[in-house]
Amino acid sequence: MGFMEQPLAEARAPHWLQSLQARGQSRWSAGKLPTRRTENWKYTPLTGLRDDYRVAAASDVAPAKLPDALAQGLGGTRLVFVDGVYQPSLSSVELPEGLQLCRFADASDAQAALIAEHLDTLVGGQAEPFASLNTATLRDGVFLHVAANADVQTPVHLLWLVRAADAPTAISQRVLVLAESGSRATVVEQFLSLNGAEASFTSGVTELKLEANAKLHHYRLHEESGEAIHIGAVHARLERDANLDSFHLALGSRLKRVDVVVHHAGPGAHADLNGVYLPRGDEHIDYHTTIEHAVPHCTTDEVFRGIVGDKATAVFNGRIHIHPDAQKTRAELSNRNLLTSTEAEVNTKPELEIYADDVQCAHGATVARIDDLALHYLRTRGVSRDEAEVMLSFGFINELIDGMALEPLREYLRPLLAKRFARDDTLARHLL
Amino acid sequence: MSQEVIDSRIGKEYSAGFITDIESDTLPPGLDEDVIRFISQKKGEPEWLLEWRLEAYRGWCEMEAPEWAHVDFPPVDYNALSYYSSPKNMKDGPKSLDEVDPELLATYEKLGIPLHEQEMLAGVAVDAVFDSVSVATTFREKLAEAGVIFCPISEAVHEYPELVRKYLGSVVPRRDNFYAALNSAVFSDGSFVYIPKGVRCPMELSTYFRINEAKTGQFERTLIVADEGSHVSYLEGCTAPMRDENQLHAAVVELVALDDAKIKYSTVQNWYPGDAEGKGGIYNFVTKRGVAHRNSKISWTQVETGSAITWKYPSCVLRGDNSVGEFYSVALTNNRQQADTGTKMIHLGKNTKSTIISKGISAGKSSNAYRGLVRMSPRADGARNYTQCDSLLIGDRCAAHTFPYIESRNPGAVVEHEATTSKVSDDQLYLCQQRGLDAEKAVSMIVNGFCKEVFRELPMEFAVEAGKLLEVSLEGSVG
Amino acid sequence: MLKIQNLHARVEGKDILRGLDLQIGPGEVHAIMGPNGSGKSTLGHVLAGRPGYEVTDGSVTYRGEDLLAMDTEERARSGVFLAFQYPVEIPGVSNMEFLKASVDAVRESRGDAALDAVTFMKRAREACKAADLPVDFLKRGVNEGFSGGEKKRNELIQMMLLEPSLCLLDETDSGLDIDALQVVAKGVNSLRDGKRSFVLVTHYQRLLNYIEPDHVHVLAGGRIVRSGDKSLALDLEERGYAWLEDEVA
Repeated sequence: MGFMEQPLAEARAPHWLQSLQARGQSRWSAGKLPTRRTENWKYTPLTGLRDDYRVAAASDVAPAKLPDALAQGLGGTRLVFVDGVYQPSLSSVELPEGLQLCRFADASDAQAALIAEHLDTLVGGQAEPFASLNTATLRDGVFLHVAANADVQTPVHLLWLVRAADAPTAISQRVLVLAESGSRATVVEQFLSLNGAEASFTSGVTELKLEANAKLHHYRLHEESGEAIHIGAVHARLERDANLDSFHLALGSRLKRVDVVVHHAGPGAHADLNGVYLPRGDEHIDYHTTIEHAVPHCTTDEVFRGIVGDKATAVFNGRIHIHPDAQKTRAELSNRNLLTSTEAEVNTKPELEIYADDVQCAHGATVARIDDLALHYLRTRGVSRDEAEVMLSFGFINELIDGMALEPLREYLRPLLAKRFARDDTLARHLL
Repeated sequence: MSQEVIDSRIGKEYSAGFITDIESDTLPPGLDEDVIRFISQKKGEPEWLLEWRLEAYRGWCEMEAPEWAHVDFPPVDYNALSYYSSPKNMKDGPKSLDEVDPELLATYEKLGIPLHEQEMLAGVAVDAVFDSVSVATTFREKLAEAGVIFCPISEAVHEYPELVRKYLGSVVPRRDNFYAALNSAVFSDGSFVYIPKGVRCPMELSTYFRINEAKTGQFERTLIVADEGSHVSYLEGCTAPMRDENQLHAAVVELVALDDAKIKYSTVQNWYPGDAEGKGGIYNFVTKRGVAHRNSKISWTQVETGSAITWKYPSCVLRGDNSVGEFYSVALTNNRQQADTGTKMIHLGKNTKSTIISKGISAGKSSNAYRGLVRMSPRADGARNYTQCDSLLIGDRCAAHTFPYIESRNPGAVVEHEATTSKVSDDQLYLCQQRGLDAEKAVSMIVNGFCKEVFRELPMEFAVEAGKLLEVSLEGSVG
Repeated sequence: MLKIQNLHARVEGKDILRGLDLQIGPGEVHAIMGPNGSGKSTLGHVLAGRPGYEVTDGSVTYRGEDLLAMDTEERARSGVFLAFQYPVEIPGVSNMEFLKASVDAVRESRGDAALDAVTFMKRAREACKAADLPVDFLKRGVNEGFSGGEKKRNELIQMMLLEPSLCLLDETDSGLDIDALQVVAKGVNSLRDGKRSFVLVTHYQRLLNYIEPDHVHVLAGGRIVRSGDKSLALDLEERGYAWLEDEVA
């Protein structure tokens, strides 16, 4: 059996998406898997991919319990999937005014028409074989529709739990967000392994369409562990004066690769793109971000930080592309890395590609270990070396966590991260 | 540089673009093993070198031209090029300047490197490579007194075979990359320098390269070995005549800095860039690399204003503990020029340090990319790199790119990279004009200021020349 | 309290301290003055245990124990406090977290019970008030974006909360305006209780108008070249350091 053969054969998109699916299948079969010689995959080998991933049948997926840390929830609508299968018993759908949320499988005719119109319009092409694979293996998806001028205060929480208890499991994740003009909303995408998860392959694609003056807070948290592999992409398109605030977090597993593409399509658009990656053990995390400044007067602030320990590898590639005529662009990118072990590895490449002259663009990247002077300062105040290292690691990341708009998520992440840095809880006592 | 040299450079057009009319002994186009045998035989090379060339050729046949660089040009037909061209009168080689073809000397006059004048210009010894052979080397006696060897590499093969055999290909292996393999197969001539232990080379060494013949490729090979504790500063200048068709230049430069040695290698590259529509110009596909041993230092400084296409990454392999690598670069592109240039700093030894200062200036419809690699190996404890890449855009139809690769596998190493872009703003121009400066003078001032961190690394004469060169190259870029 | 004998230390391969002797009793205030580059700041860092400051000879005994054998944090926990000349910025770690971690570590090693959150907060607020720093500074990153004077006052807050036995103030007065200097001096004076000892490292006599020293020492060329009472500081202010250096040479 070949890679994803069974999921491809079992792909079951709703009938009104089948022609789209067929296109995805032909794109996928025409392309080939990237290798280390493919520039975009230079530092990320795909040797961990298996040939025996299978889609979980709905009847195989026993309802799971939500992890304790999430039991309280983020205070809004929540959809939960286990191994890609929707779990109504774990979900709670309370839709505030101006918000529509459906699974593709349950879409009304009007919703189906919108999905068919917008889905797969931001991705595709030979350069993204895994996005083609996602369309080719599409089974279900989530459509979030924010009406014009709706001001939705509560977050929409989309949770994919990975259980993969019985066999290597293929999980397909697809989200389409359509934020109409002048609207405001918050969406949280979260991926989490349940204890004892075995090998899995998640193919994820999220498309965010922000119409004029829309504001979207977007969070994508990857907390899969163990043997999980995730190859995913987030594509956003921002029309005039739209504002995207997108935060990404990846804790390790065998392999995570996330491509984030932000396309500024209307003047005045702004994107804040922040991310944190924390691989350890022999984990591998790869973020590739691309900001397309296609029109004048758009701005981008991007900050990614990583702490890489043990034998782990982190890859970051941050590309800013200023098209001809995209004058008066301001785009800044910072990527800082802490390397904490002699066997860990960081590969980073911030890229600028500029075809307009009246622009302000800058990027910076650093790789180093924890600042010796800061460590010393803490020790002169009586803090032990180990605790000081935990505090400084946490502080390095916390600058980004503190900037998150969604408070319940900050509350969820702080203890999670503090504990992650402090293998011994007492070392994190001052952070909790 | 003398004033007249400077003046001669400030022509409206490419001032080095004239064709010298001397009879050449040129091989017909095409490349196969027989051509390589011909070149080797012509130079009376020993058997090992012929074998070395053939091995490189066989490797090259299996390789493909690299496509990752941010440049765009039609594929080169390597069988349409001629791989050997020697000015006929030179067959036996001049014994002194008096024996050099007067017309050739006149060529150098026009280029601004009058050999006779060189003797006046304090301390510059020149090895001039004209198309494919070395035509004259000045100051050899004075250098010989210090024990410094500075001669055409073709001569070194005969005179110092053990040195050449030991170091040739030791830094850039003959199958290193497509263009280096081609060079290894067909290299015509170039310079060889050896500085003995503890010797400070008493003068700056200098080479001028010039491509003259139509449809010839130039493949010179430079090898500089600085023995323990020695110092040398080497300057390289390049020009070529104006021609409609593209000409290929695929050189290899290898530097070996043994323990405690210092090598400073400066380049002012002014190959013909092609006309405003992008017709003609040199394809400059060059491999330059140095290996730095313990406590040694290799410093590359380059001012690149010429060539239709530049593909060039002068690099340092910091093998020895405490070794230092530096790269200071100004790359200017105008009209339809394309440059993809930068450096690689490979940190292998402990406490190795590298500094990269790159200034890219794009004007017209040109494209200018910095591509760099900084690699910290697991052994490179205490290593440090600082990189700064700045781009200046002049006009809204040019392009500037930055592609820095950073690979760190050592927590005790520190890598810092920063890049910015800016433009020559209308406000700046307005201010200068309001103070009575014309737009071109204003741009030239701003550009010179932008480049000063690099210019100050150049030897004095070159710094003046470099500034003037930028001015000439930017002509017509402000409307 | 502290006995330094024949202390030699080097930094980055350079010998900075070359046979320094100094003895400090409980409750005493010593001022150490000297020209730039004389080794004043080095002394503070050597006593606090900064990596890279290598002791090549001599001994330092602190309350009967070998100070040099202790780790940086052990020294801090046993009551040695260094107020930095250039306090370090630590973005992302709040001042509050930092202070709590520090106070807990020091109290724990002394065998004191950890302060509960309410008591700690109360003390931290008091210290802020004494240092004339708004309470919101506790929520900000450690020294992050603080002005020079604010950083020095933040050092004072730490000193008050940690209740050290030996306070080393490294050029705490440099870069402070008169108002800020008075605040810091008042804070230091409030900590003088007859048992706690102070070493004031300074270039200027001005600080000593506000914190009266028991002894004044002049450091030059890595050694104490002259000791006296506070009148020595006035002499130095009037005549500069050159005459002393000449005399020593």
